[in-house]
Amino acid sequence: MYFSNINLGQYFPADSFIHRLDPRAKLFALIILISAVFSIKSSFILACWIFILIFIVHVSKIPFKTFIKSSKPILFIIILTFIFNFIPIIYGDSFLKALSNAVFTSTRLFILMMYALLLPLTTAPLELAAGIEALLKPLEKFGFPAGECAIMIGMALRFIPMLMHETDKIIKAQLSRGAKLDQGNLFKKLLSFIPVLIPLFIIIFRRADEIAIAMEARGYSGAKGRTKRKPLKWKLSDSAAIIFSVIPVLLLYLL
Amino acid sequence: MSNATEINNIKHLIEVRSISYNYENSYMGRALNAVSFFVNSGERVAILGHNGSGKSTLVKILGGLLENFDGECLINGINIKNIDFKILHSTIGLVFQDPENQIVAAVVEDDVAFSPENQGLPPDEIQSRVNNALEAVNISNKRNSSVSALSGGEKQRVAIAGALASHAKCLILDEPTAMLDPQGRLDVEKSLRKIHQNGTAIIQITHQIENFNDIDRIIVLSKGEIIWQGDNNNFWNVAENLGFDLPDAYKLKSFNAEVIAKNFKINNNNINIHEQNNFIEAKQQKNFTFEINNLSFKFDDNSSALNNISANIPEGQWLSIIGKTGSGKSTLIQHLNALYKIQAGKILFYNSELPQHGRDLINLRKNVGLVFQNPEDQLFSLNVFEELAFAPKNAGFNKIQLENSIEYALNSVGLDKKYLMRNPLALSGGERRLIAIASVLAVQPKCLILDEPLAGLDASYQKKILNLLSNLRDEGKTIITITHDLNTALKFSDRILILNNGNFINEGTPEEILFNLTQILSPETWPDVLKFSYEIHKLNNNFPLMYDYESLLKCISQI
Repeated sequence: MYFSNINLGQYFPADSFIHRLDPRAKLFALIILISAVFSIKSSFILACWIFILIFIVHVSKIPFKTFIKSSKPILFIIILTFIFNFIPIIYGDSFLKALSNAVFTSTRLFILMMYALLLPLTTAPLELAAGIEALLKPLEKFGFPAGECAIMIGMALRFIPMLMHETDKIIKAQLSRGAKLDQGNLFKKLLSFIPVLIPLFIIIFRRADEIAIAMEARGYSGAKGRTKRKPLKWKLSDSAAIIFSVIPVLLLYLL
Repeated sequence: MSNATEINNIKHLIEVRSISYNYENSYMGRALNAVSFFVNSGERVAILGHNGSGKSTLVKILGGLLENFDGECLINGINIKNIDFKILHSTIGLVFQDPENQIVAAVVEDDVAFSPENQGLPPDEIQSRVNNALEAVNISNKRNSSVSALSGGEKQRVAIAGALASHAKCLILDEPTAMLDPQGRLDVEKSLRKIHQNGTAIIQITHQIENFNDIDRIIVLSKGEIIWQGDNNNFWNVAENLGFDLPDAYKLKSFNAEVIAKNFKINNNNINIHEQNNFIEAKQQKNFTFEINNLSFKFDDNSSALNNISANIPEGQWLSIIGKTGSGKSTLIQHLNALYKIQAGKILFYNSELPQHGRDLINLRKNVGLVFQNPEDQLFSLNVFEELAFAPKNAGFNKIQLENSIEYALNSVGLDKKYLMRNPLALSGGERRLIAIASVLAVQPKCLILDEPLAGLDASYQKKILNLLSNLRDEGKTIITITHDLNTALKFSDRILILNNGNFINEGTPEEILFNLTQILSPETWPDVLKFSYEIHKLNNNFPLMYDYESLLKCISQI
């Protein structure tokens, strides 16, 4: 493949307490945990949060290898943060102070992002979409299409892999007709992609047309009046999860 | 309540009264002209017609997707224009040709739930409908699978389940198996049979009837008009007059395998077939276009696509590559013009190693033309001339060469010069397929490779393409095709290469590889004549395996 499959949503299926939580509960808890981590000032508290993170990952039954591996896309940002925090050394900060500051800040950011990663890792994309839909629901009063948004996210998940596949096929077909897709300056390169882009757009428009007809034939007329096969259900464990995420915040910051 | 059911029994489930429809800006005349027919509940009806017969328009009208037609369409005795859309859709379920365009959710179960969710049903009811629908198409084991990981046949069954989940009393399917491989067709066919037995009416729109046992009635549509309708049994007496080829299975009905096996003895006929083989072998000793040695290939995820493939592809012959979906056919042909880089092994193209980059690669791609599946999707120019000029310009042809090559390409595919200034997007599907093939032919390659060149075309364009490929072969070009269509591969190509799970099985003339085919493909997907001759062969070892009806007749006539 000239386009390798982008990993859309890094969902890691498993049967754990965390996986079973209501996506709304997970979103709430995440907001609490992230703001707590964001405001860490001492390395002792940072160490505590690292410990809690390891505990949560353990409970969620995600193998540590998978968890660490999934951080790959954010490493670039972490390294950048490290470098930027190291820069004050130029203005005369002592080496050790600059280093410890850079290490602390970048580690904090890393841990913060790892907490955020837990959400897509433990929540199926459609469930996540339903959770976001539920949180955005109040905005419907102001005309915001929360329901349609969830359907849009779902359809993107369905069709992006297919379009990648189509793009791959078109690129190969034009290459075998002798197209030179990767030569010359930027402008030439852009021009040389016309034989790929035009067929791709035609395919997208034609498919969009047929999909719209098929959705109509299956009784879709907007998100209004739709029900869900798996409606979100707030359980006792969800309230418990929220309380559990508040407890360390209280312990670490008030005591 | 009982009164209501009685009334329903008297009325037809669907009744179409003299429907006509015109597309705006259509230069082709009426899409439908005074079409009348009915379908009763629980019936299975086939609507048979070539491309452009108005089949798809009819589907849209019955599904309530087109409204401004003349005439009347009654569903359960009520005019379709007066039926609330949601009620109509819970009576009639539509399934289209390409399942990719009707599955809306990324996970199987979520997609099947789409229409009951639209109906606003409670969660328990939705789940039980999803379970039943998945059960009906026999795909419950994949309920949590991602749709993109399914095969074509599985996707189509998910689409059918999606239509069933609305509790439709009638399913209307527009060419549901046209894009599927033999196994996929078989599985979809099985599901439809089961659904029909459960009491759902089925209207199946198709351009050829393969499985005719389960159909109650047949309606033949041509150029927007019904030219014949009646019982399944009566259809076969008039089928040829209506322009449909009789399937081999139908012709074989009158023969008895046991009787033939008992009376058959070795005679001259077998020896004749053998001599013919020797002749073909003598002819192919000359030159090889490709010599493939120990070619292996692994994908990024380390799954292996090709294992140690060695084969020689002779010059000037037509080779078909056969194998189940996932057997490595596409990976193999994409090696032949270096779209995949060789990982292990060697490929020789006319005795020199296959170039992998640089100037030589451009030259290779000029000599080895590759036509992908549905090549008409890759057209991008404003007119046919530009489209045909793309490859020759890339290859650096000068003005005279360019004009000659465009003329050659257009001539080869049998289109005249009037087409040069037309917009490729405005042409019919079959014409676009021809233009796409011509656009690869324009650089005058020595070898032309095509992936499923006949897929999705109606009979007349299939014949055109088969003729075109035979002619190119006779000109001396090497033709390589990938196809699911065993009948066509056996009848038209000179040689056949069989792959199975990335392994080389055999390569040879159709007669030579028949036995290998019977070993790797499930019997239900064999050509009808092969099935029949295998049955006789089992009873009498002397009876040869064969694939075409004429040879079978010859063999039997000598008894």
